[in-house]
Amino acid sequence: MLKRQASGNKVSRQTVLCGSQNIVLHGKVIVQSEAIIRGDLANVKTGRFCIISKGSVIRPPFKKFSKGVAFFPLQMGDHVFIGENTVVNAAVVGSYVYIGKNVVIGRRCVLKDCCMIEDNSVLPAETIVPSFARYSGNPAKLITTLPEATPDLMTEFTKSYYQHFLPTTVS
Amino acid sequence: MSQNIKILPGATVCEDCTLEGDITIGGGTVIHPRVTIIAEGGPIIIAEYCIIEEYATIIHKKAEKAETQETPPKPLFIGAHNVFEVACKLESSFGHIGESNVFECRSFVGVDVKIGSGCVIGAACQLTVPQTLADNTVIWGSEHHNREALEKQPTQLLQLDFLSKVMPNYHRLRKPNMHKRLPSRPSQDTAK
Repeated sequence: MLKRQASGNKVSRQTVLCGSQNIVLHGKVIVQSEAIIRGDLANVKTGRFCIISKGSVIRPPFKKFSKGVAFFPLQMGDHVFIGENTVVNAAVVGSYVYIGKNVVIGRRCVLKDCCMIEDNSVLPAETIVPSFARYSGNPAKLITTLPEATPDLMTEFTKSYYQHFLPTTVS
Repeated sequence: MSQNIKILPGATVCEDCTLEGDITIGGGTVIHPRVTIIAEGGPIIIAEYCIIEEYATIIHKKAEKAETQETPPKPLFIGAHNVFEVACKLESSFGHIGESNVFECRSFVGVDVKIGSGCVIGAACQLTVPQTLADNTVIWGSEHHNREALEKQPTQLLQLDFLSKVMPNYHRLRKPNMHKRLPSRPSQDTAK
């Protein structure tokens, strides 16, 4: 079951969108069932053609200051894929980023454009992932680099995912 | 299964979570949406100022040898200032979990793991073998390295303040239904 909006966003009815007035989905975004987006803590912005898979949690990070804590807004670029059961506590996620399934992205991480986090990785808090890097493991380390064509590959991947996406209707 | 959920004043408990069995939630504790707490083997008592985040699961399992029905069943006591991060899972039949522990994202603590105070179970770490964690143990990484923390985990009072201010604006909350402060130590807790 899906809510379809004029902007082309496809949001499952089984998601938990907390504080939906603080969530901006920039169009053609798919949010699958059981995903949680915590807009109540801080603003969450995504770009176009983002895919947020089942059971993932998008949660703005907090930081402690000398007086009080603040939750930082979470920004996400275009053509971002987030796998199943992944927890994203990042501050910034660039464009053309692939995040596998069962990944934990620690607090206030910065994922630059065109990077990839493999399945089951754990990115410690405040990690900065450079462009064209491929991270894996627990704690995640750089293993290889990505080809120069990554932006095109990710564009193609997310666009075709969006076009071929068929929502399952729960009886 | 008896539905007996006691929420003390000052606790912030979202409506969108699964609470089953005999559960006591202390004042100042914040429970985010989609949390599962199941007390099948006995009551669960959560002390003050804990944070329990989304998809966290706390299960008080039934004891394996249930032939000799213990009366009354032993409660699972969770100390103050514990943080259960997103999607962590705690299955325990042990009586006591200390204070100021952090269970990071996607961590798993199985049955028969005793946890002291000030411990950190790192993200995606799985503790399945029966063991006892001394105070201030930190476990992290895929190889489950462990070391002793030099100092206690800082309390999350500031975050709790913020959450308890913000959450009522966005969520439907369960109303506190207790007005008397219960003693927070299990030894003083009256058997039910």
